[in-house]
Amino acid sequence: MRRAPSTRNYQVLVLLVLLTAATWAQEGRGPSVTMAPVEAVTAPRAAQTMVTLDFRVGSGFHINSNAPKSEFLIPTALKLDLPTDIVLGKIEYPQGQDLSFPFSPDEKLSVYSGDFSIKLAVHPMASVNPGKYAIHGVLRYQACDNAQCFPPKTLPVSIDVKVVKQPTHGQGNPAQSPHVHN
Amino acid sequence: MSTYPNVEVKQEKPSWTCPSCGATSDKGVGPVAGDGSTGTVVCGACGASFPEVRAPEFPAPPDAATAPPQPSGRNPLVLVVVAVVVAGMLYFGFHMARRTDSDPPSVLGKSTPAPDFTLESLDGKSMKLSDFRGKAVALNFWATWCGPCKIETPWLVQLQSEYGGQGLQVVGVAMDDSGKDEIAKFAKEEGMNYPVLIGKEDVGDAYGGVPALPETFFIGRDGKIVGRIIGLKGRSDIEDAIKKALNTQASSRTPAAASEILQAQK
Repeated sequence: MRRAPSTRNYQVLVLLVLLTAATWAQEGRGPSVTMAPVEAVTAPRAAQTMVTLDFRVGSGFHINSNAPKSEFLIPTALKLDLPTDIVLGKIEYPQGQDLSFPFSPDEKLSVYSGDFSIKLAVHPMASVNPGKYAIHGVLRYQACDNAQCFPPKTLPVSIDVKVVKQPTHGQGNPAQSPHVHN
Repeated sequence: MSTYPNVEVKQEKPSWTCPSCGATSDKGVGPVAGDGSTGTVVCGACGASFPEVRAPEFPAPPDAATAPPQPSGRNPLVLVVVAVVVAGMLYFGFHMARRTDSDPPSVLGKSTPAPDFTLESLDGKSMKLSDFRGKAVALNFWATWCGPCKIETPWLVQLQSEYGGQGLQVVGVAMDDSGKDEIAKFAKEEGMNYPVLIGKEDVGDAYGGVPALPETFFIGRDGKIVGRIIGLKGRSDIEDAIKKALNTQASSRTPAAASEILQAQK
């Protein structure tokens, strides 16, 4: 026997329709790059800890990779301000995907689209007091769709780092960083 | 009060006959559930469950096609229709807002005078748009970091060569912050054979904000806008718009300054 949909089913449908419309509306507002929340990173002193930052480029858009194929294009780049005595190691950018604009299929671009990750090494020096620190910075990018390009933008980036003692090392230098959080 | 049974069933609880086994509530085997919280009734005799709204002891709801307008908002179909309308308004509302950002102000529609401006060229000269009065102008907003701009630049160079003798003047307005040297380097590499001006935000604002590049306005010999291309289109689209601009008659009317246009918008 066929059952009629209940009022509750209609309410769920209504909710879905509204959510879909809101999503469409958001997507229609231009290019966007977002970063997934980063859990606090535990970093032992005098050691290197890798941190992965996950980003997402809005549907229908791309941004230049860190190594675009033209000197005039603006590379995607992470710029971070680190607390005293926490050193930033190498930043590993993913390889870009080859893409070409319509009307110029032979001219390849190197871009990120969809999801991509940037890895970086955080190295608290042995002199850092254990505690919570914050690394702030920006991801600079320049987005295009398949017909036009948008001015460069920056996305704020924030990483919480919990510096812990290195078990094999003794008590470190008690020098305080001015950026320590409590 | 609604005429719908899904409301009545909770209040009056009349006799009910199970469509499956025929048992009726009069004989003590009626529905054991159906308080409205689940949306179903369950036959106490055979255990079959049915949607409350289909309970057979109530008059069947009229067909949707012949149903009179419902005075109450409880009709689920009404909810869906309202949701679709609201969703549509949300969608088009946001997109109209986006259009407002990207389209020229109404004073900049077709057949309206192109806002005049004064900008510095790569060789340090001050140039006004009105300097080109009597010519058809392709006013191309671009930037060195704009890939599609790099694709269409050679087309503009070719079209300037091809139609320059007929009165075409391509004018490039560089809208990036990369500095004059970088712009000059790009212009040299691309062999740009037309004036390249260093853009300013207020000029972009006078032309609708120019939120994305490239964007080209086609201005007739009379100083009026005859066409506009947003983003990368085909060479033939640009050529068609240029021909349209060339087919206009010159006018002695002084074009409005960009600052005047911006003032009028306020």
